[in-house]
Amino acid sequence: MNGRTATMLLLAASALAGGCTAQGSHFERIYTPPDKSVIYVYRPYSYAGSLIRPAVTCGDETAQIAPGAYHAFIVPAGSVTCTAATHTTDEVEVPPQSRIYYIKEEIGWGLLIGNPHLEPMDTDEAQTEIRKCCVEQP
Amino acid sequence: MKRGFILAAFLAATAAFGCVVVQPTIAPPAPEAHAAPLPFKGRLADGDPAQLPPSVAMSLSDTSPVSFLYREELTHEDRHSSMAGSALNPLTYAGYPTGEYTVTAFASLSIVEGDKVLGDYTAQAHVSESYNLYAEPTHKELDEAARAAARRQVDQYLYNDRDRLAQQFANSAQTATGAAAGK
Repeated sequence: MNGRTATMLLLAASALAGGCTAQGSHFERIYTPPDKSVIYVYRPYSYAGSLIRPAVTCGDETAQIAPGAYHAFIVPAGSVTCTAATHTTDEVEVPPQSRIYYIKEEIGWGLLIGNPHLEPMDTDEAQTEIRKCCVEQP
Repeated sequence: MKRGFILAAFLAATAAFGCVVVQPTIAPPAPEAHAAPLPFKGRLADGDPAQLPPSVAMSLSDTSPVSFLYREELTHEDRHSSMAGSALNPLTYAGYPTGEYTVTAFASLSIVEGDKVLGDYTAQAHVSESYNLYAEPTHKELDEAARAAARRQVDQYLYNDRDRLAQQFANSAQTATGAAAGK
């Protein structure tokens, strides 16, 4: 392999990897009025399944979250259901008393396409993780 | 010959395992709890009226001097096999579990009258279910199952304790009547 081929391969690999990673500002807490709740759905970067971006819906809002990104859903206070689906569906019911709620999205091995998993997270653990892993979904 | 035999046995074992379909484990239904109204009514001082153990829900009254304080909390623990491991494992395609969801529900109920605690109950229920390539439960289903199991436990505790609760309530009412008569 000569130098030019190696450089081209390196460029292609970095472009490919860069294309899969979200670019944006780091995590910042959102302050909402008392009649609203905020649900942070974050997706730590993982190479496996990085090309899949299932639509995540919380209440009336939908977002496709890139690996290494998070999205803050601002929803009316009360019970809200968040779903993500490919050929299987995962669903989380956010309790009505929660003003701030964290969900981690992961992509597992699927038959034709990866299966999305939405894991309700403990606040402390999620805050630490989201600061380390994720930027705001552009 | 020996090497051939070992190879044949290995292939046969692989094929046999490949044919085994492992269904996700489903928790057996919990025994029927006794959901009966309490020997007195109470008002809900803390808790969601739509998320109560049936015994408590049947015994609500806004005018009662007795208060119910009910709380539920859920914790989750998910375990996922690595994607590479799952992809390379032939058992994955036969329906072998590729992960597991576990939910623990904690429930606590306090029954108070003024500053007197008539009863204090805590319950804890675990629900876990594995998933595979073809089927998986939703977190919402597991949350509901864990909450229901914790509420059944609270109902059971209340049922087992109903005589003592009735006695406590009667004593408390008697004391209140005595105090009122003494004034």
